[in-house]
Amino acid sequence: MIPLVSLVDAALHFLDPAVLARVLFDGLAKASIYVMIAAGLTLIFGLMGVLNFAHGSLTAIGAYLGGLVMVTFAASASGNVGRIALFFVAIVVVFALLTAFGGAMEVSLIRPLYDRPPLYQILLTFGITLVLEELLRMILLFYDIQPSTDWLAAQGTRPEVISKTHDVFGLGVEGLEVFQILLGVAITAGVWLFLTRTRYGLYIRAGSEDGEMAQALGVNVHQAFTVVFGVGVGITGVAGALLMWDSAWAASINLGAEVLLPAFVVVIVGGLGTFRGTVVAGVLVGFVDAFTTELFTSDIVGFSALPELFIFLILVGTLVLRPQGLFGVEEVGGH
Amino acid sequence: MAISEPTDAPDDGATDADGGTATADSADVASETATGEHYLVEYLRGHVAHAFVVAFFGLYPFAHTFLTGSLVGAEMAMFLPRVQTMITVFYFGLFAMSFDFISGYTGYLSFGHSAFYGLGAYFVILVANGKVPLLGSGTPFMVLLLLAGILAVVLALLMGSVAFRLTGVYFAMITLGFAQILYVFFSNWDYLGSNPRDGIAVLGRQDGFSIGVPYVDSLNMSIGQLQGDTFTWGMDFAAMTGIDALAPISHTIVLGPGEVSYYMVGLVVLVCYFMLQRIVHSPFGRAMIAIRENEERARAVGYDTFRVKMGAFAISGFFGAVAGGLFTGYRTSVAPENSFYFLTAGDALLASIIGGFGTVAGPLFGRLFHEGLHEFLTKEGGGLLPYLRSQLGEGTLNTVIVDGFTVAEAIEVFLNGRAGLYIGLLFVLFVLYVPNGLLGTLRGYLGGTVAGQVAAAVKRRVRGWKL
Amino acid sequence: MSHLLELADVHTYYGESHILEGVSLHVDPGETVALVGRNGVGKTTTLRTALQLTPPRNGTVTYDGEDVTGSETHEVAQAGMGWIPEDRRMFSQLTVDENIQVAVKDSERVDAHLDRAFEAFPDLREFRNRKAGNLSGGQQQMVAIARGLVGENDLLLVDEPSEGLAPQIVEDVANALRAVSEDASLLLVEQNFPLAMDLADRFYLMDHGEVVHSDTTEGVSADDEEIRRYLT
Repeated sequence: MIPLVSLVDAALHFLDPAVLARVLFDGLAKASIYVMIAAGLTLIFGLMGVLNFAHGSLTAIGAYLGGLVMVTFAASASGNVGRIALFFVAIVVVFALLTAFGGAMEVSLIRPLYDRPPLYQILLTFGITLVLEELLRMILLFYDIQPSTDWLAAQGTRPEVISKTHDVFGLGVEGLEVFQILLGVAITAGVWLFLTRTRYGLYIRAGSEDGEMAQALGVNVHQAFTVVFGVGVGITGVAGALLMWDSAWAASINLGAEVLLPAFVVVIVGGLGTFRGTVVAGVLVGFVDAFTTELFTSDIVGFSALPELFIFLILVGTLVLRPQGLFGVEEVGGH
Repeated sequence: MAISEPTDAPDDGATDADGGTATADSADVASETATGEHYLVEYLRGHVAHAFVVAFFGLYPFAHTFLTGSLVGAEMAMFLPRVQTMITVFYFGLFAMSFDFISGYTGYLSFGHSAFYGLGAYFVILVANGKVPLLGSGTPFMVLLLLAGILAVVLALLMGSVAFRLTGVYFAMITLGFAQILYVFFSNWDYLGSNPRDGIAVLGRQDGFSIGVPYVDSLNMSIGQLQGDTFTWGMDFAAMTGIDALAPISHTIVLGPGEVSYYMVGLVVLVCYFMLQRIVHSPFGRAMIAIRENEERARAVGYDTFRVKMGAFAISGFFGAVAGGLFTGYRTSVAPENSFYFLTAGDALLASIIGGFGTVAGPLFGRLFHEGLHEFLTKEGGGLLPYLRSQLGEGTLNTVIVDGFTVAEAIEVFLNGRAGLYIGLLFVLFVLYVPNGLLGTLRGYLGGTVAGQVAAAVKRRVRGWKL
Repeated sequence: MSHLLELADVHTYYGESHILEGVSLHVDPGETVALVGRNGVGKTTTLRTALQLTPPRNGTVTYDGEDVTGSETHEVAQAGMGWIPEDRRMFSQLTVDENIQVAVKDSERVDAHLDRAFEAFPDLREFRNRKAGNLSGGQQQMVAIARGLVGENDLLLVDEPSEGLAPQIVEDVANALRAVSEDASLLLVEQNFPLAMDLADRFYLMDHGEVVHSDTTEGVSADDEEIRRYLT
């Protein structure tokens, strides 16, 4: 039990503008990450009803691929601008490769299972994750990179402006967090525009509500599945590349498991298949994470795993109170 | 929980489903309630299969010793799992069976099943360390297993009361959520030990854990890697009397701690198997299958589906915790990663799919397959690697394949400890091409006249899993 | 002569249950054909079979001279077969505009087709930015018909258009269908027998997965002994 006095203390602590600003800012950065790691998953689930258990390992592959581009060319791209430009090259490469990979995976492995119950898609992607993780481990060992610890060489390619803590109105603002927020907002906006402003996005939204009806109106839902699975995996890879620079996540074989569960939580809390829900849930989880982290680091609560615990409490709470999620429609895909 | 069977229960062709038609390979009610004249045949075949499997496991340690000592010993040591490995197969197989009992039979994927396993595992050690109020650290192990099971029943009823309002992915996710909450909690609660993240081990208890009749010393055998009992059967008259001439009539069988643990853990798992098997073939089991195939119809014909699901979940939780208890009873240590973590349930899923989803014994065989392959591809226990090293010779090993990459290095990278990769590939192939698993497929072949019915039942099962 | 749609001895199953047990029927260009019969005799399945949503196990479906049996549903739809399904199947999270846009196959001229839809159904114009899930049943039925209209279909499969609607709304829907039938052939499943006879030129009477009777609608009434036997 937390005594009343410390509750008051805690409240006062968060009323300090500097603390509040930092928590909000951290929350925003974490929110960007949560939205990024869940975006690909939610697209795929929304249209196809496939809960992609390989999501985590695909994120890890994205992190390593991004890191590979950075480490290989870092020497020839020095300075802040050069490195950031290189990073954008890296995410384009990661996106292209993983989109192609995801598309191929859908055509060759997932497609034969559409006639079977959803359980089999969960099983299959679960199997794929085992294979991908071991393959990745094998490749890393081949190149003498220690798979289970953070890949520090990749983190070392961060430009100075991102590694530094900047002084903004007397507050310490980490460059990395600013970068994460900007990239998170840009990619969220990109996905949003793709879904709402393009014809393909329209097909995806229609197909995720009622695939059969969309087909009967002439939409090639199979092709849309391939595209969405590819793009979903591509975005997942980009999220991985972004995490590669963040020492709290970093490229390692464990990144897959670290990412998978929070991504599930965000997607389920937001409502399976709604991108808007995912964004809102990502923001919610991000702020709760930042707030509970602060509770621990400022010694108000002595339980170090508070943020992790809260993520799962949010999951269970949502499923108890509102199973369809914040923005989910009841019985999505239940035709 | 008493479940009265509705008079117009959907798929019972005969009334003998709970009359002991126990077949190791047939868990689906429909497959064995064929027609009257096949009943006896089915019955006998079932018991032949059981007797054969029990005899196989019963003789395994002897066979292992004999074969690995024979002319082809090196090859045998490579292929045959060690007795210690088989113990793991037993307790984890029981966990996988309990997972499959709820997931494979009712269609509700219990992705957080590791909660029960972890509960049983932690409970045993915490009691032994005197960390559980009211229970002395010397409480008999069998009592602990029972109490762990009861605790798991309570947990299952709590989880189920919330979770069974949901179906499909949502059910899987809420159980996962519960298990992860426990995982986080047990990884960080410093009451458990000085470094909860690394797990806990038995500290105080000297005598190890024994399996047998509680409070009757002579009917107990200790298990454990180090503290396990040994067992001598027969009389060494020569040694007793000092008369060498008696040697020809002195025969003893000595079982080391490993073998004793093997038999005792195996015994508990066997008893649990028969209990699960019995339940599956009872009217209650039929109700579970009815839910899997079509829950609405099951409700319409009069089953109280919520109570059946709760009951099934509680039973499955009970055996999951017993499995966890056996795990720490034998290993005397546990970490959050190998108990409460969600991938523990993932391993059970793997075992169930490979062995046969919706069969009672299948998950055990699936786990045997998994452990066997794992051992085959690791350095320990005389798997493929030591064999290759001893057979290939220096010259071959140092041959460069490409760019300074030698055969030895290739073995290291592609084989050593790479069981996960090959298990994963196999798993994917199973999901794609052998969806009924080893036992399920075997059942299809053995079915003979009921093959058609089996196929139909399997199809119904597959379709019954709904999102 | 060539039929627009022809089902020849079609057998369709749901899993193991045999739903259509040899249905043969045809629709000619310009015709409106009604499919009548009790609930559960396979009328909806007949429409789904035509669209290849539930492909037949035996028999053939020919559309516009082409054998489409086993084709992808979207290909059949692209060939000019539209579906106005039971319960209207709105994309409830999409706006009325978007619902209709999805159905436009000619992506070069989306706006022109939208304008055409709103000319045909002026009442929908004021709801065009509202989510389809929030519309009334009658309005949704209009959107469903509009979706059939903008797809430039030669044949529309219409399933229970009057179901669950108030009588005066049914009249509106009937008028809309009449208007649409000027441009396209209709295969209409309708429980309301007088309405079906009023809209259609010919009808097929189904029972237990088979066509048991067919005739022109002229002078037919539900009091006919033969028809009553199959409808009650």
